[in-house]
Amino acid sequence: MNTDTTRQNVPAGTIAHGYDQSIAGAPDETLAHQRAVDAILDDCFLSIGQGIGLRATLDFDAVVWVRTNFRAKFLAAMGHFGNRWVEDRATVTAVALMLGERAVRHANGAASINLDAAMQASADVERYCQLHSARRSAARTRTSSESATAMIAGYWCTWDPKH
Amino acid sequence: MSVEHIDAILNDCLLAAGQGIGTEKSVDFAVVVWWRTRYRQFFLHAITAKGNAYEADRRRVTAVGRYLGQRALHHASGSASIDMRAAELASRDVETGCHMNAEREGLSSPALTATA
Repeated sequence: MNTDTTRQNVPAGTIAHGYDQSIAGAPDETLAHQRAVDAILDDCFLSIGQGIGLRATLDFDAVVWVRTNFRAKFLAAMGHFGNRWVEDRATVTAVALMLGERAVRHANGAASINLDAAMQASADVERYCQLHSARRSAARTRTSSESATAMIAGYWCTWDPKH
Repeated sequence: MSVEHIDAILNDCLLAAGQGIGTEKSVDFAVVVWWRTRYRQFFLHAITAKGNAYEADRRRVTAVGRYLGQRALHHASGSASIDMRAAELASRDVETGCHMNAEREGLSSPALTATA
């Protein structure tokens, strides 16, 4: 479950929680997943920031809400499907970038994106993912990369931890 | 100060770094992990040991985060993505600035003044 494929020579001890072999292979997979999800969330927030750019800032309560919302979904998805971040990263961060774009749009030119705009942007993204997820079965029968994208976008952000 | 709060602060700062980077280049996941590890330690120290309040410092810290992203983008010119080399150089730039600010403001322990 080592997801660090981009740099093989990072010194021991500098890898974040959840991303070294010893932790990933630990018997307590739930803890490993929790730690992995925290680093994945950082990756997604960086992408959200890329999508926002220098057009606006994001209120801290909106940051906390987005974190809480997606952390639960990511944890549930990872518990069900395992840690697929290496395979899925490009697709999921692209969706995060879209979330940033949508948040700017919902902020209607305000200097700061508030909680309401962030929630609307998240709803947009989740709708988008649900659409892809709904096509998942059909997509499975195809061999194109589009079908893979559909599956991935669906399960990372629509998995309901309550079910 | 909960672990959850520190992680939310990290999210906030990496979002700011992403703002500084923009959409021109992607960032290697190793960089995200390295920044997370590095600044988590800094923030824990600043908040728990020195009693800094993130709410009070947020505007300044996120401005530094955006600068970190801009420096990383600068150092990655010529590369397809922002890699560890560019990230380390950017962190050095930013932390040098933080040191100078901390010394100017008379903080006793400038080494970990990520909030300066």
